[in-house]
Amino acid sequence: MAGNGVRGLNEALRTLGLSSQTCKSQVPSLCKRSMATVASTPNITRSVAEPWQPLSTVPVTVFSFPSLEPRRVESWSTKHLHLPLRRDILHLAVVYEGDSHRQGTANSKTRYEVHGSHRKLMRQKGNGKARRGSRQSPLLRGGGKTFGPKPRDFSTSLNKKVYDLAWRTALSYRYRRGELVVAEDGLELPLPDEFLALVESGRLRGVGMEESTALEDGFVRRYMREVMQGLQWGADHGRTTFITGDRRPNLFTSLDVAGEEGRALEMEDVDVKDLLETGRIVVERGALKEMIKRHQSDLVSNIFVDGKRQKGPAIAQPLVMP
Amino acid sequence: MPPRLPILPAVRCCRAALETQSASSPLVSLFAALSVQTRSASILANLAENKGAHHKRIRVGRGPSSGYGKTSGRGHKGQKQHGKVAARWQGGQTPLIISHGRKGFVNLRAPEMSIVNLDRLQAWIDAGRIDPTKKITPRELIKSGIIGGSIKDGIKLLARGDSTLRTPVDIIVSRASGSAIEAVERLGGKIVTRYFTKESMRRLLVGKSVITDQPLPVGPEHVESVLEKARNGPFYYRLPDPTSREDIEYYRDPAHRGYLSPSLKPGESPSLYFKVPGETKKAFTSKAKQQEQEEEDRLF
Repeated sequence: MAGNGVRGLNEALRTLGLSSQTCKSQVPSLCKRSMATVASTPNITRSVAEPWQPLSTVPVTVFSFPSLEPRRVESWSTKHLHLPLRRDILHLAVVYEGDSHRQGTANSKTRYEVHGSHRKLMRQKGNGKARRGSRQSPLLRGGGKTFGPKPRDFSTSLNKKVYDLAWRTALSYRYRRGELVVAEDGLELPLPDEFLALVESGRLRGVGMEESTALEDGFVRRYMREVMQGLQWGADHGRTTFITGDRRPNLFTSLDVAGEEGRALEMEDVDVKDLLETGRIVVERGALKEMIKRHQSDLVSNIFVDGKRQKGPAIAQPLVMP
Repeated sequence: MPPRLPILPAVRCCRAALETQSASSPLVSLFAALSVQTRSASILANLAENKGAHHKRIRVGRGPSSGYGKTSGRGHKGQKQHGKVAARWQGGQTPLIISHGRKGFVNLRAPEMSIVNLDRLQAWIDAGRIDPTKKITPRELIKSGIIGGSIKDGIKLLARGDSTLRTPVDIIVSRASGSAIEAVERLGGKIVTRYFTKESMRRLLVGKSVITDQPLPVGPEHVESVLEKARNGPFYYRLPDPTSREDIEYYRDPAHRGYLSPSLKPGESPSLYFKVPGETKKAFTSKAKQQEQEEEDRLF
């Protein structure tokens, strides 16, 4: 209960925070809100005459990456990016992934696998000591392990349709909170030309430190921090996950160096937990499309009826083009 | 909701607004300032299964407070407490398997057939998953999912719900029961049984073979035409013909609507060993001729 209260307060704070970023015309109306929880009177009733039409699409703005200029607006299906939050489904998926990521290679030797002779150590009687059958006994130092770990597979199973639903639920959760930034294809970090020229000429590696990348890394770290702080995407704002179709050298190496600001992942390496981890997700449009395409088994059918099959909602429809 | 982007002009605009409003509502600006500092907490810590989704294992014999402590829920004394009786134990009587022995055997080499029943076929036709206006071949049956995901050694048509069939179909399968043949033909449909193997059905599915109800041509006179066809067109694997006696006899039988049955001469038996009764003529030869023949046949 207390947790809910805190969460509610956080939500309220965030709403107010939003108001601080909106434009002047909207501010006065928001300022009228009192601190007490006043039951507002929204339009919760609806005439019977007008049929209820739930949302079928939601808008997605595609931005250019470093400048964040909106380039176009697309409409995406609510079944892809506006699913209700299902914490239980996300939990199933995250646990499933965690199980399958367990290495399970712990291995120990039993008394029959420990090297050595199985000769009886001493006579059965007359030693004034405990009887000893073999040197590998688990009771002795250097002996085998009684019930030790053996390599095994920890992976569990999850129905594919549930897993795919979890994947889209995670993306929808990000979208609803405004934490899903869709960038144009070819997402890459532009590094300053002067820096690249210096790296090229090898002048950032002084005499005696040809092997060291300390200077280059130091610059990249500071540069990355500035970029990310400027965007309010950095360590102070919960880090950022960048998802691209394939490896982008500048972005990936920079974020390897400046890991405290965020992380970069290729689309193939992403799973549900990655989508939920950092403050926001910045994803290439093509990569997002491919992710949705690969995780819609509950929306598409492989049953052909009259030669056609249900292919699910269209993944992206242009709304506003440049 | 669009992504929250820190756009400089917007921030400047808001700051101006807040400055003008600060006198009237200082709290708002306070909280606005606070919210900039809010830490983004991951949802990962707040994920959980639904209540009741997971049953906790009962740990038996782990102390009195558990309710399953002292006797572990098994009561007092006797067989029920101490163990169980093997399912095969017949109370001390000599087991039937010992007094009577095992009977029969399992033929592991028998071809395993996928089953298609007529009521299911009709349901598939009604749902639009099979087109009855076209020839229904193993390719169509497999692609429609009527026999499930795995391809077995053949497809057999059975007559469950034969009264529900109301669409005439043109179907080619590996085997068909007598009543299924009757039900299909009663409606004016056509049924042919043809020899298939697992491999040949896979090739039909991926389009490496072409379906036909004709056996492979046999004899030197066909070589040229077959080669000509192979040289001109794209390569297709030929569908195999049966080689075992039982299979050949099955597909030679008109009662099974076998694809080899048209090759039978009028009055010829589908069996390779037994002739039709009454057909055989006794050829009488003289004793001398018989002896002469024996002399010829003698090897040593």
